Amino acid sequence: MQPQSMDLTKTIMHIDADAFFASVEQGFNPLLRHKPVIVGGTAEQRGVVHTASYQARARGIRTGMALMRAKTLCPEAVFLKGDYEHYRAVSQTFQQVYLQYTPQVEFTSLDDAYLDLSGAMHLYPSAQWVAKAIVDEVYHRTGVDLSIGIGSSKVIARIASGLNKPRGMVEVPPDTEQSFLNPLPADILPGIGRMAKERLTDLHIFTVGDLARLPRLVMEQLFGRNGVKIWEYARGIDHRQVKRKIIPRQISRETSFEEDTADMGIIRGTLQYLTERIGKKLREQDMVGQVVGIKIRYSDFKRHEGTRRLPNPSNDSGELFRMADTLFEQLRLRRVRIRHVGVSVMHIEPKNYQRSLFDSRGRQGALNSAVDDIRRRFGFMALLPAESLELKRKYRMEPHGYILHNPALTR
Amino acid sequence: MRFEDIFESIEVISHFKDGTMKPLRFRWNSRVYKIQQLNGHWVSHQGYTHQHHYSVISDSSDYFELLFDSSNFDWQIARVCLDG
Repeated sequence: MQPQSMDLTKTIMHIDADAFFASVEQGFNPLLRHKPVIVGGTAEQRGVVHTASYQARARGIRTGMALMRAKTLCPEAVFLKGDYEHYRAVSQTFQQVYLQYTPQVEFTSLDDAYLDLSGAMHLYPSAQWVAKAIVDEVYHRTGVDLSIGIGSSKVIARIASGLNKPRGMVEVPPDTEQSFLNPLPADILPGIGRMAKERLTDLHIFTVGDLARLPRLVMEQLFGRNGVKIWEYARGIDHRQVKRKIIPRQISRETSFEEDTADMGIIRGTLQYLTERIGKKLREQDMVGQVVGIKIRYSDFKRHEGTRRLPNPSNDSGELFRMADTLFEQLRLRRVRIRHVGVSVMHIEPKNYQRSLFDSRGRQGALNSAVDDIRRRFGFMALLPAESLELKRKYRMEPHGYILHNPALTR
Repeated sequence: MRFEDIFESIEVISHFKDGTMKPLRFRWNSRVYKIQQLNGHWVSHQGYTHQHHYSVISDSSDYFELLFDSSNFDWQIARVCLDG
């Protein structure tokens, strides 16, 4: 069966670094190679596993597992705090390599990218040749293994890249998409999480093929608009383009405290610091956010979350923080120490049009530009809001930021 | 095996060629370490300042991460690996 309206001339490649953070550590330190490596914090710290090397995964370590549990499962593992700056530098090397083959590259995260080779295939013997050249050069320069999927759409390429990890390369030739997808488990499709999988299992739908045979209407009734998208993916239909610039759905920053705290100076300072980082990121990419959210986790692991819409979309750190602070005051109703806080900005859009005739935020915009210029020149910590200086009592200051309890998140 | 952050200034002998820099020996705690193997190099940016990180193995088979700060030409030991 030929899926309808699929562009078979496209050659899309999805590249994913295998166990990225752990691979970087192993790539740059031969003493760590072939050892179980866990990035997220030291074994004595509280916190969770960010990335585990394949040797650690073989021992049952999974992302999101508590570090102490990981230590119990694999006492000989090497625990590392992680170094975001290092991972970012390695990711930039990936970018340099990918851009040698096509300008159509969409970087979805530090270790994950789509390449659209459709317009460049006349330059190379085959897509597999390009994939091999990329894998070899990245390994030579960074020691990190990549897994690559090649297909006629983003969804096919993405699924293919995950099938044969680590250092896997799977190409799905045109016209074979449906036969490739049919035997795979249904939850391999993007958009199917644990809950959706359970609902499908109740209906005796186990494979992508089972799902593709359902009438479209059934999926729409089960999962709404998302169901239609999943149904299309199950038939290999994916019209998404490889975009050179993507607008994230949300930007969030969060951290756990080294020890549970009721110190409002530290908590507020952390919230302000995290918000400041989000504001900087938004301004760098010329974007604004409409909704601010915060997350609090107490020492008894109870969680409170809240969101609120700003009067106008903004990328001004001060405005974002005032909203985060208001939300925090509303949410913090318990007299219990706090373990973890997070701030997020959602409903992000490009900052490309004037919302109001009498926009009085020109001065603030000019101030933000000046602050960003100073930070570009002297580092992020050259200028800080006063409340975030409270964190000096707890954390080491580097020119690029505080080294928080969970350094992998020090962005 | 565990890693410890040090961030102490050190003296380094480096080799400069074709626009690249390669540390050869360094003195730390009154002891001279010869660099046996350069595992990798990466650059982080702190504003306009570039910090060059070198992952090295010394002649004593110890792992070090050395840091060169381009703003003040200062070398530091950033991290060491402690066995055990």
